Amino acid sequence: MFAVTTDPLDPNALVEAVRSDEDGAVCLFYGVVRNNNLGRRVLYLEYDAYVPMAVKKMREIAEEVKQRFPITAMGALHRIGRLEIGETSLLVAVASPHRAEAFAACHYAVDRIKEIVPVWKKEVFEGGEEWIEGHIPTPQERQTAEPSPSSASGRSA
Amino acid sequence: MKVHVKLFASTADLVGEREVVLDLPDGATMADLRAVMVARYPRLQGVMPTVACAVNEEYETADTPLQEGDEIALIPPVSGGNGAGGGPFTGQNE
Repeated sequence: MFAVTTDPLDPNALVEAVRSDEDGAVCLFYGVVRNNNLGRRVLYLEYDAYVPMAVKKMREIAEEVKQRFPITAMGALHRIGRLEIGETSLLVAVASPHRAEAFAACHYAVDRIKEIVPVWKKEVFEGGEEWIEGHIPTPQERQTAEPSPSSASGRSA
Repeated sequence: MKVHVKLFASTADLVGEREVVLDLPDGATMADLRAVMVARYPRLQGVMPTVACAVNEEYETADTPLQEGDEIALIPPVSGGNGAGGGPFTGQNE
């Protein structure tokens, strides 16, 4: 299950989508909007995304994670639009037979999502607002491990 | 040839549009497109060095040739997730 949506995210649906009877562990990460950043009082966040590419990159990251860790399945949901303090912006779930791999793979997946998935947040704080410019992906980071045939661009420079 | 350029976050604010259509000479590359965008929207000049580009939903480089009907996206530094930070775990596996 992969989606970028303005609707509230449902953790139970994501867990059920990744879990199978071979799994002894499901690791679920919540990214939550917090009330402060850089010493400022944050009022709310506005997320923007290049939706089709964001979903495609999350799917590619899942393939990459499966190649690196012995996991059974992974899913990711990102919410966009206006999010209030305490609301969930990102859910990543990884299922595996044992917990160590689930923890490690989930951590890796969240880091990769923040590196290359085209999603942006604008922080609206007391006294102003600002797009939070995060990570500039290097050419190496932009590569997902092994693009599946359906995701290959078919274009060479 | 006509290409569609999608804009997001800071680049959309600077241009005042979410999408523009450019008519470029045949054989134009991503580097040419960047130059045309800065000439047409000078407010992009400061941010352009940190902006990545995608062609048809895939990250591309400056010498990527463009084709009629391509969908280009200007991608400012990404900042999804929750911003909780933490060390770059991904680097540990390299």
